[in-house]
Amino acid sequence: MVTRYLGAPVRRNEDPRLLTGRGNFVDDIQIPGMLHGAFVRSTHAHARLKRVDVSRALAAPGVHAVYTHGDLGPLGDPLPPLIPHPTLKHHKTQYALAPDKVRYVGEPVAFVVADSRYLAEDAADLVEVEYEPLPPVVDLEAAAEPGAPLVHEDAGTNVAAHYTQRVGEPDRAFAEAPHVFTERLVMDRGCAQPMEPRGVVAHWDPRLETLLIWDSTQAPIPIRNGLARLFGLPERAVRVIAGDVGGGFGPKIMMFYPEEIMVPLAAMRLGRPVKWIEDRREHFWATNHEREQIHDAAIAVDDQGRIIAVRTVFLHDAGAYIPYGLIVPVVASTTLPGPYKIPNYHAEFKAVFTNKTIVSPYRGAGRPHGVFVMERLMDRVARELGIDRAEVRRRNLIQPDEFPYDVGLIYQDFAPLIYDSGNYPAVMDRALAMVGYDRFPEEQARARREGRYLGLGVANYVEGTGIGPYEGAKVHVEPSGKVLLATGVGTQGQGHYTSLAQLVADQLGVDVKDVHVVTGDTGEFAWGTGTFASRAAVVAGSAVYLAARAVREKALEVAARLLEASKEDLELEGGRVLVRGAPQRAVSLGEVAVAANPLRGTIPEGAEPGLEATRYFGPPRGSFAAGTHAAVVEVDPETGMLKILRYVVVHDCGTVINPMILEGQIHGGVAQGVGGAYYEKLVYDEGGQLLTTSFMDFLIPTAMEVPDVAIGHVETPSPLNPLGIKGAGEAGVIPVPALVAQAVEDALAPWGVRVREMPLSPVKVRELVEGSRREAPA
Amino acid sequence: MKVEGSRRFAAPRPRVYEYFANHQVLARCLPGCEKLEPEGPDSYAAVMRVGIAAVKGTYSGRVEVAEREPPERYRLKVEASGTAGFVNMDGVLAFVADGDATEVRYDFDVQVGGPVAAVGQRVLGGIARLLVGQFFQAMEREVAA
Repeated sequence: MVTRYLGAPVRRNEDPRLLTGRGNFVDDIQIPGMLHGAFVRSTHAHARLKRVDVSRALAAPGVHAVYTHGDLGPLGDPLPPLIPHPTLKHHKTQYALAPDKVRYVGEPVAFVVADSRYLAEDAADLVEVEYEPLPPVVDLEAAAEPGAPLVHEDAGTNVAAHYTQRVGEPDRAFAEAPHVFTERLVMDRGCAQPMEPRGVVAHWDPRLETLLIWDSTQAPIPIRNGLARLFGLPERAVRVIAGDVGGGFGPKIMMFYPEEIMVPLAAMRLGRPVKWIEDRREHFWATNHEREQIHDAAIAVDDQGRIIAVRTVFLHDAGAYIPYGLIVPVVASTTLPGPYKIPNYHAEFKAVFTNKTIVSPYRGAGRPHGVFVMERLMDRVARELGIDRAEVRRRNLIQPDEFPYDVGLIYQDFAPLIYDSGNYPAVMDRALAMVGYDRFPEEQARARREGRYLGLGVANYVEGTGIGPYEGAKVHVEPSGKVLLATGVGTQGQGHYTSLAQLVADQLGVDVKDVHVVTGDTGEFAWGTGTFASRAAVVAGSAVYLAARAVREKALEVAARLLEASKEDLELEGGRVLVRGAPQRAVSLGEVAVAANPLRGTIPEGAEPGLEATRYFGPPRGSFAAGTHAAVVEVDPETGMLKILRYVVVHDCGTVINPMILEGQIHGGVAQGVGGAYYEKLVYDEGGQLLTTSFMDFLIPTAMEVPDVAIGHVETPSPLNPLGIKGAGEAGVIPVPALVAQAVEDALAPWGVRVREMPLSPVKVRELVEGSRREAPA
Repeated sequence: MKVEGSRRFAAPRPRVYEYFANHQVLARCLPGCEKLEPEGPDSYAAVMRVGIAAVKGTYSGRVEVAEREPPERYRLKVEASGTAGFVNMDGVLAFVADGDATEVRYDFDVQVGGPVAAVGQRVLGGIARLLVGQFFQAMEREVAA
């Protein structure tokens, strides 16, 4: 078969629709008679709820209901835990509405439903909440200490989990190593800012007894399954649509957010459609955060800088509840080794409750933390031993002939952490060449003579992607000859309408524009888990490929009968099935579809009607992409400002379906990474108040701050799926903090600045310059 | 947040203390105070309306006067909450005689929470200074009258 689309930079099918305002986001849903909800949220980080008086709110104009915890019945129990772990002793989960205690600022206390959002907000102001403040648990280290005030009294501790993984004999290795270096490395809180905040519309049909939900979520199918269970409905009676989702980035894989319970509950009780759309300020409190960890790390090396052992003992801030389990700290500790051979490794963490917004995976999901720690350690080794930083990395890289490479750990999918394939030296060397590593010292010296401070950073990473359990796809050819593809993974802007369509178009010989993709609608496809962990292309893509291939086989069989030809002599091209070498003998794919679904006669025994097939794919374990980022930055020691002059990403995600979409993923990731390294920081005061709840205080990089990104591809296909694909969703974001730290240190070398925390900011850079002992150069 | 400072009153200490300890005077002088009614010997139910952008709203709560040591000092605790969040203050007012005049020193810990903290933080210092200034101007007028 001639491959026409796989690997081609096909323009995105969805763009004309999205770019001309014809997207269908949750707030676009308008239903006659729809009511609107607003939440009363805790103003305290930690307090007992002494009294919630809704009487004035209920009497307000246009108000239909005001719910508090007492109104919830069984739905007032803690919401279901998601991913258990043997070491997660206290798997505390959130409530739809706070019962007798609030545990973070923004936790929902009451839900008001009114004729309009304005009326709902006005009435929410009339709900009287009396709090009895408790000592807030804000500082991560203090929270982990014995005797700290407790976020969950019945747990008896703020430590939700304590988990250690070991490879080799790290203690002995450290004791015997000639060089040991230790670092304390901190990553502060950050969060995703999708253009579309969260939102839910619920429509209960009392006659059909069906619940229709529009939800800006990354997990429509698990949401459907869970809502059916929680509300005691048959699964077929609940349909969840996450059609267009304006950015996900991880937090929207979380469930159940309280709003996802309260909106359907109100719709069912009131018999009216109900809408709630998160506003931007709410998003800062109510949508999950990430990133906050404190690592005490150490590395042991020989005289040549070869790694003997690595250790990290870290605290992970879980926030007030830990519904999503230990994914982020597990990913952090298992991403840390990266592309390096580490014979002895000790990774130990405590996941700790604090009175802050819940933490669950956000693009990178622990990977940036692990890479930050590992790359900082490599920089330390390079400096202490006087070895070039690229060289010290090169000496420790896993070599191309060493795959599959067993790291010796258990990964987030509970499978062994085994790198399936890769070519790390080629990736790094390519990045060094593209950024101009060899000529940089001269460039740096020249700039210094002009009073400008340039620095270079280079950072490697391995990205775990494409984990199971499975995804599925249904491919269906209509009598028109157009193809329908339905899959369980939703899309949040990643281009699934195109990349998945490409896989089908290649198999069926149709135009990619004639493949109509439906994602994120449980009415169309109801098996699957969701869009997370850079797995859509790998897992759903493989299922799509298998389903399309099955339809292709079927089309060939039916067409062989129609054309009285041998199957082997047929090919699919231009929407037709034709006899090779005799193109006048052809039948359109639509005609084949009709023939496969006849009104009279019969179909062959054992055959299924129609040109349709459903297939599932579950990889044995994740496939591991890898990459190197390199950049040249300029730092102004007077103002602390950072300017990125060059940015290079060399990336290996196996087989590339659509390089244009891949580059878009990487560009977006780098933008988010730059934000997380220098601009975006969630700041809590000592009382647990979140001080950064607008874009005045939480700065996201704009087009002015995001560099042009030069991208190089290396393709080492994965052996774990039929197309050799690895994921790429997080590649752009992962090593940026590590890279920026190194580049800033390099630029400010005359001051001997050491970067040990992320994110930086102009103020922080100034503090580093001020705090350094050495004098500024003349 | 710390709010501290001092203000000089051209009146003897006992008189100044008397004014500062009188809840009816305080009710007249606290900016936006709509109600300050005794609930117990040392506590008052209060309603205040604040009209400054970031912290705009009506706050209701309790004012407590404790550790009275006339004419030297007393402790003032304010707990108020409203649609924009909550404001808690706890601190000491000290009255230092300086001849015929009196220096009033104040030293408060102020805690704010909810939307008022989230949006108003960057301007809270300024707002606090403004409100304190208004209060003392009004007190000066009372004492001088």
